Amino acid sequence: MEPDKSIITGKILANREVAENHFVMALAVPDDFEEALPGQFIMLRVKGREFPFLARPFSIYSIYSLQKMIIIEILYQVVGKGTIILSRLGEDDELNILGPLGRGFDIVPDRKKIAIVAGGIGVAPLSFLAEYLGKQASGFQEDRKIVCYMGAKTSELLIDRERLEDVCSRVIISTDDGSNGYHGSVTDLFKEDIRSYKYDDLMVYSCGPYPMMKKMAEILKEHSIPCQVSMEERMACGVGACLGCAVRTGTQKENPLYMRVCKDGPVFDIDTIIWR
Amino acid sequence: MENINIPIMEVNVGGLELKNPIMTASGTFGYGEEYSPYVDLNRLGALIVKGLSLEPKEGNPPPRIIETTAGMLNAVGLENVGIRAFIEEKLPFLKQFDVPVIVNVFGETIEEYTKVADILSNVEGIAGLEINISCPNVKAGGLEFGADPNLAYEVIHNVKSVTHIPVIVKLTPNVTDITSIAKRVQEAGADAISLINTLKGMSVDIEKRVPHLENITGGLSGPGIKPVALRMVWEVTREVSIPVIGVGGIMNARDALEFFIVGAKAVQIGTANFVNPRATIEILEGIEQYMGENGISDINDLIGTIITE
Repeated sequence: MEPDKSIITGKILANREVAENHFVMALAVPDDFEEALPGQFIMLRVKGREFPFLARPFSIYSIYSLQKMIIIEILYQVVGKGTIILSRLGEDDELNILGPLGRGFDIVPDRKKIAIVAGGIGVAPLSFLAEYLGKQASGFQEDRKIVCYMGAKTSELLIDRERLEDVCSRVIISTDDGSNGYHGSVTDLFKEDIRSYKYDDLMVYSCGPYPMMKKMAEILKEHSIPCQVSMEERMACGVGACLGCAVRTGTQKENPLYMRVCKDGPVFDIDTIIWR
Repeated sequence: MENINIPIMEVNVGGLELKNPIMTASGTFGYGEEYSPYVDLNRLGALIVKGLSLEPKEGNPPPRIIETTAGMLNAVGLENVGIRAFIEEKLPFLKQFDVPVIVNVFGETIEEYTKVADILSNVEGIAGLEINISCPNVKAGGLEFGADPNLAYEVIHNVKSVTHIPVIVKLTPNVTDITSIAKRVQEAGADAISLINTLKGMSVDIEKRVPHLENITGGLSGPGIKPVALRMVWEVTREVSIPVIGVGGIMNARDALEFFIVGAKAVQIGTANFVNPRATIEILEGIEQYMGENGISDINDLIGTIITE
C-alpha cells in the first residue's frame, strides 16, 4: 500500500485564445502520466503562487503523446479571477497537476447509435469522448454511428467543430442567435431529432450549462433513453475528502443522498441526479 | 548506533503516544483512504477522521464551499456515514496502517455524545476521541455546546464517564473568552484540547446579490485564520496544564513551528491537504530540517519556548 500518486509539474507549451474569452492550454507532463479516460479531469494550480488559493478542476479536452512527453489540453472560459490568471500565463510557466481524477464516461458497446449533445464550453470533455469513440469505430466498433449536436451562443463560439466533424458521422449545429445552423437551443434541436432514433439502440452523452442538462434529463425521461452527463460543482480537494462538490442523487437507498462530483463523478447517469 | 542527526519527534498528547506531532485535522482528510495514494499514512503522528455522528447525516445543499482571500469557507454541514458504517466499512482500511486513529465525534444532545463515545471506546483500532463541541444543542435552543463553559463541561464530563481512551476536546473560536471554556473542559477531565475550529464567516456574490454558500454562513479555514489560532493557542496553554494541539491555517513547516514555540504539543494540518495532498509529510520533514539546523535534538525541547519579555 505504498503511495503511488504524486503532484505532477506541467509546463505550458501553448495558451491561446480560440474564441472570445475561450482558451486552449497545452501542458507537457512526463510520459508516465496515468492513462486518462474521456470525462476525467485534472486539478490545476499555478506553481509557487499563493493566489488562487485552491486548485481548480478542468475536464481533459485532449491528451496525446509527443516526443517522449504527454500533452494534456484543457479548454476553458475566462469566468473569474482564477481563470483570468490562468489566461495570462505563457509558454514555460509551470502548473501543479493532480490527475487524472474521477469517473469518466462509460462506453456501452452494444449501443450502436451515439448522440453527443454539447452546450457551450461543455464541448470540452465530449470532444475528447467523440475522438475516443471515433478511434474505436474505425477499429473494432465499425458499425457505430456518432452524431454530435453542438450548441453555442453564437457562431464564433462553436469551438472544435473541425475535430468533431472529423470523428463523428454528422455534426448538427445550433446557435442561440441563429448565426449558424438551427436557431435556438441545442436541447430543442435534439428534441426535434429524437424520434428519428431507435431508442433501444441509442446512448446519449451530454455536458453543458446546468439548465441545459436539466432540460436533457426531462427530454430523455419521456423515452427512457440512457444518458451520461458530466457535472460541475465548486471543488477544493478533487480527491473526495472535502465533500465540497456535493450533487444530490437519488438512486440506491444504501448510498448517501449527496455524491461527490470529484470522486463519484464527474460523470453520472442523468436519471440519478435530483435537479434543483 | 543511534543517529544523532535524526531528531526525536515522539510526543505524548494526553496519554496518546505519537511517533511525531503531525496530525490530520478532522474533515480535511476524509477517512484516510482518499489521501492514501499520495501519503504514506504510516508516517503520520495520528489520523483524525471526518466527524461522525450516531446516525448518518446528509449535510447541506450545495454550493458548500467558496474560496476567500487566503482561505476558504465551507458549509458541508457535518455530512458523514455514521459510526456504524465507519466501523464496518472505513475502519478496516485504516487498521492496515501503523497510525493511531482518532475519531472526531459530535452530537445534538449530551446523550448522543455519550452514546457515540461509549460505542467507539469499545472498538478495536481506535486510539482516541476528539469531541467537536462546536455544534448546536437542540435541547437548549441551538446554543453551541462549545460556546457555554457549563454546557461544554457537561458534555465532556459525561463522555469521560463512559470511555477509557484519551479524549481531546476541539474548541470553537467563536466565543468571547476561550480560556474560560478551556479551563472548564479541563476540569471535566479532558485529556487534551485542540484549537481552533473554523471561524464563522460569509461571502456574497455581488452580481446576483446572494450568498456564495447555500447555507448563507460557513466556517473559515486556511492561512488567513492562522494568527487567530496562534493567539488562542498561546492564551490557552498559559491557562491549562493539559496538552494543547494547534490547528488553524498551517500551510508549511514554518507555520507549524510557530505553534510549537507558543506551546502546542502537536499540530493538525487541515485545509493545506486540499491545496497540497502531501502537506503533512512536507511539514514533518521541514520541522526535522529546522531542528537539525538549529541544534534541537528533541521536539519537546522546542515546545513553549517563546520569549515575550
